[in-house]
Amino acid sequence: MSRLAQIPIRIEPAAAADGLGGGVTAVLHEIVTLLERLATVAEPAAIDLRSLPMSPQDRAELQRALGEGEVQATLNAEGISRIQETRVPGVWWVEHRDRQGELIAELIEVTLVPEILASASDEIAAGARALREQITLTAAARRR
Amino acid sequence: MDLLTFARGSGLKVALAVFCLGVVWRIVAFALLRIRRDLNEPRASMVKSLGGGLLAVGSRSWPHPEFIGRTGAGEALGYSYHLGLFAVVLLFGPHITFFGSLFGVTWPALPSSVITVISVLTFTLFLAVLFRRVTHPVLRMLSNFDDYFSWFITMLVIVTGLAATAHIGGPYETLLGLHILSFDALLVWFPFGKLMHAFYIFPSRAINGSLLARKGAIS
Amino acid sequence: MPHDNEDVTVGEMLRRHGISRRSFIKFCTAAASAMALPPMMGRAMAEQLRNARRPSVIYLSFQECTGCLESLTRSFAPTIESLIFNIISLDYDDTLMAAAGEAAETARTKAMHDNFGKYVLVVDGSVPTGAGGGYCTAGGQSAVDILREAAKGAAAIVCVGTCASFGGIPFADPNPTQAWPVTGIVGDKPIINVSGCPPIPEVITGTLLQFVTTGKVPDLDEHRRPKVFFGNTIHDRCYRRPFYDEGKFAKSFDDEGARNGWCLYELGCKGPTTYNACATLKWNGGTSFPIESGHGCLGCSEPGFWDKGSFYSALSTPAWGKAGETSPLEVLKIAGAAAAVGGVVGAASAGVGRMRQHRQEQQSADNEPKGG
Repeated sequence: MSRLAQIPIRIEPAAAADGLGGGVTAVLHEIVTLLERLATVAEPAAIDLRSLPMSPQDRAELQRALGEGEVQATLNAEGISRIQETRVPGVWWVEHRDRQGELIAELIEVTLVPEILASASDEIAAGARALREQITLTAAARRR
Repeated sequence: MDLLTFARGSGLKVALAVFCLGVVWRIVAFALLRIRRDLNEPRASMVKSLGGGLLAVGSRSWPHPEFIGRTGAGEALGYSYHLGLFAVVLLFGPHITFFGSLFGVTWPALPSSVITVISVLTFTLFLAVLFRRVTHPVLRMLSNFDDYFSWFITMLVIVTGLAATAHIGGPYETLLGLHILSFDALLVWFPFGKLMHAFYIFPSRAINGSLLARKGAIS
Repeated sequence: MPHDNEDVTVGEMLRRHGISRRSFIKFCTAAASAMALPPMMGRAMAEQLRNARRPSVIYLSFQECTGCLESLTRSFAPTIESLIFNIISLDYDDTLMAAAGEAAETARTKAMHDNFGKYVLVVDGSVPTGAGGGYCTAGGQSAVDILREAAKGAAAIVCVGTCASFGGIPFADPNPTQAWPVTGIVGDKPIINVSGCPPIPEVITGTLLQFVTTGKVPDLDEHRRPKVFFGNTIHDRCYRRPFYDEGKFAKSFDDEGARNGWCLYELGCKGPTTYNACATLKWNGGTSFPIESGHGCLGCSEPGFWDKGSFYSALSTPAWGKAGETSPLEVLKIAGAAAAVGGVVGAASAGVGRMRQHRQEQQSADNEPKGG
C-alpha cells in the first residue's frame, strides 16, 4: 500500500507568479476590515484558517504577505501552541497542536494580545494566597 | 428500502426475469411461425440460398447508392448513436463491473474522460434523432407511441447516467438509483416494443435474403 | 461520576484534574474549528462552560457491542477529546461506572430526578420489542421501558452509533428480536443521530459539546444527523477522487492498481452514497481511514447498511443476494427459469399464430376459383 505522500496528485498553482492567489487577497481584505473594527470599537476577532480552502501555496503566500513581528510565544498546555505576531500590528498567527503534535486549530487573531496568553483574572487571587502561604512556610522552615 | 437498494436489488431481479421471458417469448413465437411454402422452382441451391442470406445481412447494412441521397443522413445518424451507446455501455468501468457480476467475465475499459465525451456526443445525437423524426414528414406519419416511448426510455437512461457520473442534480445515491431504475424500466419494455429490432434485425435480413436468393434475386 | 461534588463548576473540575484554563480554551477552539463554528464562539464556549455547573449526562446502553463507547474512551494516548468527561457529569454509564446493582440504579434515578428536564440522554444500541421487550433487560426492566422512562426528563436524546440511530446490526434482516432505533420508540423529544459503526470519537464529543454549551440542537439532515459532520459523502472529500474521475480502479486487493492507491469503487467502496466525516477527520486522531488503508467504505453510517448487498460488490452491480455477492450462477438460474416460461408462452403464441395462418390459407383456398 503506497504512502499518502507518494500518491501522485498534482496541485494546480494558485495564480500567476507575480500576484497573490484570489483566496489570499480575500483573507487579507477581511483582516483589514477586522483591524479597522479593532481600531475604532476595540472589538477583537479571529479567522479560522481551517475553514478556508487553502492550498500549501496559498498558506505560504499569506505568511509571506503578513510577515513576522517582534513577539513569538510558545504555549505548553496539552500540547504545544505557537503564537506569532505578524509584521502587521494587531495581527497574530496562532497554531494549536495536541500532545501528538497534530494541528488541531489554526487561527489569525486580530486583537491587542491573544486572550489565551493573558493570565486568568479569577485565578490571580487564589495564586496570591498560595504564594503568600509558600513565603510563610519557607520563612518558617529557614528559621528552624 | 431506499431507491438505490430497490433498483439494484429486487427491481433489477424482476426486470432481468421479465427481459429474458419476453425476449424468448417473442423469438420463439416468431421462429415457430410458418413461412409460406414457395412452390416455384428454386433458382439456386440450398447452400447458395443460405449464402445469399448471410450476404444480405451485410449488404443491407448500407443503402444502395441510388438511395443514399435520401437516406444517407438518417443512416449515418443512426449508426453514430448506436456506436456511441455500445461504447458507453460496454467500455465504461462500472458497467463492465456490472456485466462481470452477471456473466463472470470482464474486459478492459476506456478512460472515463473518453467515455464522458462519447456520452455527451451520444446525448446530442439522440436529440437530433428525435428532431429528425418529428420534422421529417414521412417519419412523422409513420411514427407511433412505440417509437417515441422507446426513445424516451433510452434517453432517460442516458440522462440519468450523465447526471450520476457528473454528480449534478441531487445526492449521488438518488441519481444512481434513478439511473439503475430507468435501466430496469428499459429491460421491462425491451421485449414488447420496437427495441426488439436488436434481436430481429439479423435473422430477418438473413431469412429475406435467402428467400430472395432462392428465387434467383440478389439483395 | 456521582461521587464528585455536583455543585462544582466545570472550570473547578478541570482545575482538579490538572487541566489548565488555557488547555480548555485550546480544546474549545479546536472543537469549534472542527464543527465549523466561528472561532470566537470557541472562546465564548470556553468561558460559558468554565463558569457553568457540569451538565448531567445519562448514558444508556441497550442492544449494542460497546464499540461506540470504546471509540469514545479508547485512545492510544490521552487526547484533548477525553476532556469531555471532565466537562460533563456522567451520572450513569453501566460500562464505565464503578457502582453496580441497586446502588447504580439508585444513582441513575436520583440523577434523572434531580436534573429532570435538563439532562442529556445518550443512548447506544438498538431497542428490542420482541418477546414483550424481554430480549434486553437490566435490573428487571426491559430496555423499552427504561428508555421511555429516561426520555421523559431528557432535554435531548443523542443516539450514538448506527444501532441507536437506525437499528444497526440487530435491525438487519431478519431482525429476530424486533429491534428498533430510538426514533422508533420515542417521538416527542429532540433527537440527534450520531451514526457510524462506530462513530468517529471527535464527532461524538463535538456534538455533545455543542449541545451542552449552546443548549440547541445543531442543523440536522433528513436522518437527524448533524450536517456539520454528515453533510458530505466520503466520496466528496476522498483523496483518491482524481483516480475515480480518470477511471483508474483497483481490480483486486493488493494488485498493481491498489498499490498505486487507485480508486476502490470496483472493490465495493460505498463512499459515494455514505455521509460521514471519515475522509476529513479520519480515525485514531487523524491517522487514517478505511480507504486510505486500502479497504472500501462499508457505508456504516447509513440506515440499513447491512442489507444493501455485499460490501465487496460495486455500487453499479446487482444486490439482490441476501448474503454474499450475486453470482453468475444465480443469474443463470433466474434467466433460465424466465426463458423457459417465455419459451412456453412463445410456443403457445406461435400455436395460435399458426392456427390463424392455417385458417387464412383455408379461406383464400376456398375463395380461389377451382381448377388450374
